[in-house]
Amino acid sequence: MRHLLIAIPLLLLAALPGLSLGAKPPTKDLVVIVNPASGVTALQPGDVVNIFMGRYRKLPSGIVAFPIDIGERSPEREQFYRQLVHKSLAEVDAYWARLVFSGQTSPPLQVPDGKTAVQLVAGNRAAIAYVDRSVVDERVKVVLELESAP
Amino acid sequence: MSISRSVKRLMPKSIVARTTLAIVLLALLLGAVFAGLAAWTLQNNEKDRLTTRLDALLQTVEKTVSIACFVKDGALAREIVSGLMSNEAVAGVRIIADGQTLYEQIRPGAAVSAAGEMLPISHLIHSPFDKHQEVGEIVLFASQATLHELAWSYVRYVLFVLGLEVALMSLAVAWVVYNLITRPIKSISDELHRLELRTGMRLRVPRRNKQDELGRLVSDVNALISKLTSLIDTERKLRLERETSERRLSLIFEKVDAGLFEVERNGLLHSWNPAFVRTLGSPPEPPELQALLPAHEAQLRTLIDESLNSGEPREADLELRAQDGHTQWAEISLTPMDNVMLQGVINDITERKRAEFAAQQLASRDTLTGLLNRRGIDAGLAAVFEDRHREPDLAIALMLIDLDYFKQVNDTYGHAAGDIVLCRVADILERIVRRTDLVARPGGDEFTIVLVGIDNISKIEQIAQTIIDEVRKPLDIGNELQVQIGASIGIALIRADDDSPASALHRADEAMYVAKQAGRCRFHVA
Repeated sequence: MRHLLIAIPLLLLAALPGLSLGAKPPTKDLVVIVNPASGVTALQPGDVVNIFMGRYRKLPSGIVAFPIDIGERSPEREQFYRQLVHKSLAEVDAYWARLVFSGQTSPPLQVPDGKTAVQLVAGNRAAIAYVDRSVVDERVKVVLELESAP
Repeated sequence: MSISRSVKRLMPKSIVARTTLAIVLLALLLGAVFAGLAAWTLQNNEKDRLTTRLDALLQTVEKTVSIACFVKDGALAREIVSGLMSNEAVAGVRIIADGQTLYEQIRPGAAVSAAGEMLPISHLIHSPFDKHQEVGEIVLFASQATLHELAWSYVRYVLFVLGLEVALMSLAVAWVVYNLITRPIKSISDELHRLELRTGMRLRVPRRNKQDELGRLVSDVNALISKLTSLIDTERKLRLERETSERRLSLIFEKVDAGLFEVERNGLLHSWNPAFVRTLGSPPEPPELQALLPAHEAQLRTLIDESLNSGEPREADLELRAQDGHTQWAEISLTPMDNVMLQGVINDITERKRAEFAAQQLASRDTLTGLLNRRGIDAGLAAVFEDRHREPDLAIALMLIDLDYFKQVNDTYGHAAGDIVLCRVADILERIVRRTDLVARPGGDEFTIVLVGIDNISKIEQIAQTIIDEVRKPLDIGNELQVQIGASIGIALIRADDDSPASALHRADEAMYVAKQAGRCRFHVA
């Protein structure tokens, strides 16, 4: 717990130069997190797209991926897909609607908030989620920092 | 050859049928060409159209395909494919994601193996999130059968329209040709059939064709008819004239007294009239002029040649021996017509000849004895000398005979007795000399003999002696009276330098005087 408390200001500090680069800082500072035991150290935005949009079911380390969405209409989710694939949530939902219909591919699991997501990632080796940097703690590992789109 | 003949036999006779057939055949040919072109063009067109259609179809599903490829969702791919396959024109669909076939369906019956059977339309599929990332490919096979079916339905439509047009056009052409060409021609032809060729006859111009080619044809035919009829009239008139003139000539030919004939250079007669037959008799077979005049063959030959070569008429008098033994004369006249033919006229001139002969007799003969008189012997001697000019070796001998004691007979028994004596002596002389020798009584009791062609003097002397001997014999003068006289003869042979009879006669006269002086009843040769 202490570690977490220390880490937050550190992380905030670390994020400062990145935030200062953006002309308009986004409302959220989203990062992609995985379980430290997942064997993944870093991910490219493309990898994240592939995993979250159902293309790859596995993490680069070989573990079956378990992506997690935050809320249905949460600001994080809105911002995440905007930044990652430049699509609105309606578009993303329509996308999933087609795949769900076929029954073969499922969309990411939805959790109520960032904390729950961190909780889930901390407890699941295969889980991968995006959360606001503020809720990240030492139980999870940041593999990609999403830069806000210009 | 036989093919073209059978084609000809199959060709219909009427213009309408031929024109219609030609139009139908041409239209069918053109129709076939157009249909072929249409089929080819339509096939390509349809291919493009189908491709465009299927392209659009693909466009509508592309987004979903992109998703299916992105997530390699076979179920979604199957959904897409089955959706596409509901289109008849689609023979098969294959969706490939990351180089592997995600889903594929080929309509049963469409053979994929035959390359031409399927028309593939391929679209590359990009990631729904990154326009630059290829995530797969969709291949849609257009149904060639559909393509063909579409194209052929078009071609069938075109063919149907063409066929309909051909049928209607043929009917229209047949109707037009029949009404505009065949019917007027038929009416003209019918009129021509009824037409009798005589002056003033004309064809009627069909009402509607006055200004066109048929109208012109009819007026040409009319012009021809009038020209022909006038020609025929002229011809008929000329023929009548010629017949009349021929009849006239033929009448002359038949009835004229002169013998008319035509003869070739070789003597072959081409024609002759009854007068010719009356004069020369019927020509034999072959009808040769020389066969009718065998004695004058050479003369005729010369006459014909001369006439033909000179181009001038030639005439000759011919002596004919008639069957009853009488001598007949014919005058033949030949006029050349061209290089080989001559026109001849033959006239019987026997009467004229007889008259001439009688006149000549009268002039040159002694009426008492029938011997030549002085004029006759002069003419005879002149002719003999003529001969001698041509024939210098011709021997001529003159004998002048003077009767001895004739004056006594005359004085004793009268002139009648004297005349009898003279006739008897004339007979003796004519008996002794040859027919070709001349015997004359120039006057009184003098006689002259010209011996022609005897150069043997002893022969001449022998003749003279015979005369002396014969004349010395007693002569009956009628009334059982006999007288005896004698003859003194002077003989002169014509010499080379005698160019006229005069000098020879003089020598003969002197020789005769010598004979008389020597005691009469003897001869002396000068």
